Amino acid sequence: MLKTAVKHPEVLAPAGTPEKLRIAIDYGADAVYIGGDAYGLRSRAGNFSFEEMAAGAKYAHERGAKVYVAANIVAHEQNLAGAGEFYRHVRDAGIDAVIVSDPSLIETAITEAPGLKVHLSTQASATNYETLNFWQHEGLERVVLAREVGIAEIKEMRQHTDVQIESFVHGAMCIGYSGRCVLSNHLSLRDANRGGCAQNCRWKYDLFDIPELGQKRELMGHNAEGKIEKFSMSAVDMSMIEHIPDLVDAGVDSLKIEGRMKTVHYVSTVANVYSTAVRSYCEDPEHYQLKQEWVDELWKVAQRELSTGFYYGTPNEDFQLFGKRRRLPHYAFVGEVLGYDDVTKQVTVQQRNNFGIGDQIEFYGPHFAHHTQIVKDLFNDENEPIERAPHAMEIVHFTCEQPVKPGDFLRAQSKL
Amino acid sequence: MTELVATVASYDQAAALITAGVDRLYLGEDYFGLRLPHSFKPDEIAQIVELAHQHDRKVTVAVNAIFHNDRIKKVTAYLQKMSAIGVDEVTIGDPGAIYLLQQAALDLPYIYDAADLVTSSRQINFWGKHQASGAVLAHEVPYQEMVPLSQQIDIPVEVTVYGAIAIHQSGRPLLQNYSNFVQEHLNKTDRQRGLFISAPHKEETHYSIYEDLNGTHIFANNDLDLMTDLPKLWDLGLRRWKLDGLYADPTNFVKQVAAFAQARDLLDQDQASAVQLADLDQTVRDLQPAERGLDNGFFDLDPNEVK
Repeated sequence: MLKTAVKHPEVLAPAGTPEKLRIAIDYGADAVYIGGDAYGLRSRAGNFSFEEMAAGAKYAHERGAKVYVAANIVAHEQNLAGAGEFYRHVRDAGIDAVIVSDPSLIETAITEAPGLKVHLSTQASATNYETLNFWQHEGLERVVLAREVGIAEIKEMRQHTDVQIESFVHGAMCIGYSGRCVLSNHLSLRDANRGGCAQNCRWKYDLFDIPELGQKRELMGHNAEGKIEKFSMSAVDMSMIEHIPDLVDAGVDSLKIEGRMKTVHYVSTVANVYSTAVRSYCEDPEHYQLKQEWVDELWKVAQRELSTGFYYGTPNEDFQLFGKRRRLPHYAFVGEVLGYDDVTKQVTVQQRNNFGIGDQIEFYGPHFAHHTQIVKDLFNDENEPIERAPHAMEIVHFTCEQPVKPGDFLRAQSKL
Repeated sequence: MTELVATVASYDQAAALITAGVDRLYLGEDYFGLRLPHSFKPDEIAQIVELAHQHDRKVTVAVNAIFHNDRIKKVTAYLQKMSAIGVDEVTIGDPGAIYLLQQAALDLPYIYDAADLVTSSRQINFWGKHQASGAVLAHEVPYQEMVPLSQQIDIPVEVTVYGAIAIHQSGRPLLQNYSNFVQEHLNKTDRQRGLFISAPHKEETHYSIYEDLNGTHIFANNDLDLMTDLPKLWDLGLRRWKLDGLYADPTNFVKQVAAFAQARDLLDQDQASAVQLADLDQTVRDLQPAERGLDNGFFDLDPNEVK
């Protein structure tokens, strides 16, 4: 049977700041998730005030996109006061849904902010369809699955529930069941479930047993270089770009990208790639082809190696970081296009990282526009020739052979 | 009356625990329950239920695993079986299992147990509204938070007063993966193997780690021992106390439980002195496995110390 156009699932991007919210949407995200000043798990991400939420929601809604607020801490006694008011403010800011993990906060959102839609956070480790049914029965619109759920399991869930399913497709992963890890609480006195995770899983540990009473014995093995390799629990990152059809066909309603702490460069690139791939597949599934340039693009913003997590089975040692990390090609975000003069072919750029004459610059914009060139000339805002642009946010001009648009970004491969 | 709950590692130990004075035995099968000293089949559970009931004690069965589709399908039949053999209560941590328990309309109470996630009165009361008869309090709730919590809860909570404290559950075989990477075979990675890790630059630390069909489990540096803090719990009305013998010596564990049972009796009769509790605590410490330290966990922690 020929596949005709299929329903387009949402591509959901992280937005740590109002700027990233606008960029994620400009770069194709159908929805973004942000954090508020309270109840979020990313205490160090740039969180949104209620005014910023309202402005962000307006910007998104004018473009047919949605904004969700992550409020997914697990509350202790002293965190409960004020939660209802917080959710009412979120609702009144026009936010499309809150992402919540703690049942007490779910109840607060539902009873004290009527009309506010609620999604279950991945922190609640939903791994089966009866759990999805439970939460739908509670009035939730959507469940974000645990990262331990595979494609075949999602397909089966889809047959047993019609609650919306959201699943992580890209970014960093917890090594344990999210929420079921308090390594950080016990090793660093930082509450993993209240925004303080110290990522202790990524530490290097000594491994022992005690074969005879009182005598502990080291059990560490060796890596390929013959050196002692300590025990670690560090997960590589996830990327499902090569498996978009599986996700769409399994019935995932929202493809989620991790990274509220990540940069503009990351957010724009990943939102761009996934929205392009999903659109391409849904418009014409029969003739869909994965493009290598999408994969290449994601590697440019990768911080760790990439894997498919639990989607196709229990991750083995290749899905963890051991030994020396493979050096990934590292790209820096160097500027944003402010304008382009078609006559003089001069591009005006606001600098974000040091670049200069002789550097190979890649322009990229929404809808996957791409153009690469060497910088051959460079002028400051007074039109004086310069060699490099070292100053943050300075305005510079140079010749760009192909037309580019305001809002396009520039990146360059970092010198290693 | 204060209720003492203890994990069970064998039928014989169950009998000894009853003699030692426990009110409730806690056991289960690792296909359905997490981090159990022994994995009992239903007919073995039935025998222990019969024994417990002969002595007017209760049995709680662990159904607190994180279930994927393959296992959630078997939960209803398991709950029906537990109900049929007279189990008094189950623990549940996965809301999907609660959903099934309610659909099955069994006369089988459950207490909510989602390990580290149960941290507030409002959450506990949420489960109370969903017919939970109790909840297991997270180990990461300090005494200062228990005080207001104890005044707000609509259903009883169970507080762990002795035993190994789980601090991590991974769905991945972390030890096998490590073993494969370094290409040096770790002969067995189960609990009996006694593996542990220590934190960077803290060689004296001891975090037990093992793998089973529920994934990889890691435990806190020291086992918990709230013996000398029991009066505070008692005064708050938090009077369901669990002892977890997962990493205890099975014979010594019964004696440790007996010490806690004595403390319970003294408290219930309003006769416990600090000296007596210190003596009983020394008994618990003397029976503790040599390689496993004891402390009172997060009990004395100022909530503001946790970031």
